[in-house]
Amino acid sequence: MNDTARTAIVVGASSGLGRALAEALARKHYALVLIASDIRDLDALASNLNVEHGIAVRALALDLAREPDPGARIAGALSGLPPLAALLLPIGFSREDDDLSLDAAAIGQLLATNLHAPLAIVHALLPALLEAHGTIVLVGSVSAVRGRRRNVVYAGAKRALVSLYESLRQRFHPAELNVQLYQLGFMETNLTHGAKLPLPVAKPADVARTIVRRLGRGSSSRYLPAWWALVAIIVRCLPWAIYRRMKD
Amino acid sequence: MTKSASGARGFALADTDIASFDRQFSARCRLQRPDRYRLLAALPRDVPRIARGSGVSYVAASFGGDAVCQALDAFDRVLAFDTESGRMRVEAGARVGDVQRFALARGWYLPVAPGHPKATIGGCIAADVHGKNPARDGTFRAVVEDIELWSPGREALVASAAQNAELFATTFAGFGLTGTIAKATLKLARPPAAMVLRRMPVANLAEAARVLREATNAPVLYGWHDGRPKHFGRGVIRVGLVSDVADARELRAPSATHDLPASIAPYPFALWNRAGIAAANTWLGARWCRPGQAPLALADALFPLNDARTYFAGFGKAGMAEAQWLIPHARIEDFSGALAELVARDKPRIALIASKLFAGAADGFSFDGAGIALAIQVPAPTQKSQRAFLEALATLSIAHGGRANLIKDSTLDAATARSAIAGFDAARARLAAHNEGGLHASELARRLAL
Repeated sequence: MNDTARTAIVVGASSGLGRALAEALARKHYALVLIASDIRDLDALASNLNVEHGIAVRALALDLAREPDPGARIAGALSGLPPLAALLLPIGFSREDDDLSLDAAAIGQLLATNLHAPLAIVHALLPALLEAHGTIVLVGSVSAVRGRRRNVVYAGAKRALVSLYESLRQRFHPAELNVQLYQLGFMETNLTHGAKLPLPVAKPADVARTIVRRLGRGSSSRYLPAWWALVAIIVRCLPWAIYRRMKD
Repeated sequence: MTKSASGARGFALADTDIASFDRQFSARCRLQRPDRYRLLAALPRDVPRIARGSGVSYVAASFGGDAVCQALDAFDRVLAFDTESGRMRVEAGARVGDVQRFALARGWYLPVAPGHPKATIGGCIAADVHGKNPARDGTFRAVVEDIELWSPGREALVASAAQNAELFATTFAGFGLTGTIAKATLKLARPPAAMVLRRMPVANLAEAARVLREATNAPVLYGWHDGRPKHFGRGVIRVGLVSDVADARELRAPSATHDLPASIAPYPFALWNRAGIAAANTWLGARWCRPGQAPLALADALFPLNDARTYFAGFGKAGMAEAQWLIPHARIEDFSGALAELVARDKPRIALIASKLFAGAADGFSFDGAGIALAIQVPAPTQKSQRAFLEALATLSIAHGGRANLIKDSTLDAATARSAIAGFDAARARLAAHNEGGLHASELARRLAL
C-alpha cells in the first residue's frame, strides 16, 4: 500500500510536536485526521496542509479533559478516508502546580487528558488499525523515569503509558500491529519557553521527522533525542540520598 | 533568556535581549512565543503588547515601550489559495520569501515586497513597505484585500476597503499599533516570463531623477549611487524590463537556505570605514556604472538582499542608520545640489545611496507621494560627525518638502518626525482612535510620540 492511500490520526495536533507530526505526515501524503481542543488552530493547520500538499485533512475539536468517549468521536471522523495506518498520540497536558497540591478535579483533568484519552482512543481504533496492520505511536516523557516532587500526576499518567505499551506489545505481534513508545526529553514549545533547563531542548520538527520515518518499522521503545536514554539510566541509578535532594 | 512569568492562562514570557536590525536600540523585553490562537489572546487585558514578526525592521518597531513582545513565528501558514484569481490567505507571521516560493511554484508572485525575505506579511502591512518599483506597483496596501486584527478584550475584526475601512487604511504604516495583525488576504500577480536588467549610468542625483521618471512602468526600477564627496551621486539606474524570451528557470525562487538571516552577527571590526567604503564603491562603480543589458532572474530581483550578509555585518557593533527621504519632483534638483554641498562640507561616511521613484499619495504615516526617494545608509550613526550629518540631512530634506520614512530611520526624534510628515497630528489621532488605552506599544511609538 502506498502512502497516498493511508490515513494517520494525530491527537494533540494544534502545536508543538503534534503540529510538527501533522506537517511531516502531510509531506508523506497521508490523509489526516487532526484532533485538538481549539478549532481555530485546527482549521488553520488543516487548511495549510491541504493547500500546500493537496491532501485530505479533517479537523475535529475535542476537549480531552471532558470528552467521555473520544475514541468513538474520532472513529466517526474516519468515514470515507483511506485505511487507518497510524495513530499518533502526542498528548501532553501538565501544570505548574502539579506538586502534590492539586484537588480531585484537577487530578481528574490531568488523568483524563494524559491517560484516559490515549487508553480510550487506542481501544476504539484497534480494529481499524489491526485491519491495516497499522502503527500506534505513544508519546511518553522523561519525567516518568523516576517519580519526583513535580509533575506528580502527569508523570504517573505517562508511566502508565509504558504499561499500555507493554500490554499492546504482549498482545500483538508486530506483523499485526506496530506499537512504538517515544520517551521525550525537553522540547522547544510554549511550555519550555524561557525556562531554565538543565539540558538542551529538541526541536519538534526534528523529533517528528524521526517518528514519521519509523512508522511501520516494527515495535519498539526509545528515547528522543537518543541521548536521553543515558540520562534516564543515570537518574535511575542515582543513590536515593542524592536523588531526594534534587529539585529539577 | 530567563522565564519571568507564567500564569493559569498558559502563556509563558521570557526576559530576552532584543536589538533593532540597525543596532541603534536594544532592550530587555518580555517575549511571548504563542503557538496557538488561545495563547495569542491569553495576556491579561491591560498588558501592553506589540506583535513581532522576524524583527528585520531597521527600527525598534516590534519591541520596547514596556510592552510584551508577541512573536508570531508560529502563525506562518498559507491558509487558502485560489489558483484562478491569485488570492492568497495567510497568517501574519508568514515570511515574504516563503510566500514568494509558494506563489512562484503556482505561477503567481507578490509584486510588492521588501528586499529581506524574512520580513513577514504582518510586518509588511504594519510598515506599508514598498517593493522594486513603487511608482508602478504602489506600496504594500495595493496587494492586500483584507486584514484580521486582534485587540485586547475584543473579538477579531476583519478590515477591508468595504468593512471597517478606516481601520483598514490606518493599519498600513500603523506600525502594529492598531491591533495585532493575525491574517491577511493578498492579491498576487502573474510574474513576467523573463526579464532583462538595463544599466543606465548617471553622473549625479538630478540626472538619476530624470532617468527614473522616464522608466516609470518598469517592473524593477532603482538606482545605486556613490556617496563619497568627490564622486557624490555618480551611479547607475537599474531598469528591469520584461523580456520576450521566456525562460522557465528564471521563475524558480532560491530555496529558503539562501535567505538572508533575520539576525546577522556584526563583524568585530567595522568594514565600512573610509577605506572600505572607497574600495566597495570603486569596485561597484567599475562593475555597474557602464551602459549595458543582461538577463535578470526574477529571484534575483525579488531577493536582492540575499547576498548582503557581509554588507550588514560590515557595519560592526556600532551598526548603521538609514535616512530615507521622499523629495517632491519639483525640488529634487535643488535638493541634490544642496545635498552634494553638504556632503562636500561635512564629509560623512556614506556606505550606500539608493534612489527610487514614487508616484502615489501619502496616507497617514505611509512613505508615499510623488517624487524621488533617497535611502542613505551610514555607519556608526551615533558618532558626532555622522550624527551631525544626519541632522543636517533631515533639516535639508524638510526644507525641500521631504517626507521621512519613519520605519527606516532610528535617528529621527519626535520633533523632526512631526516636521517631516505632513498631517502628523491627524495621523497620530487616527492611530490613537484604534489603539484603545495605548495597549499596543513599542519603542518606535515611544520615540516618535505616536
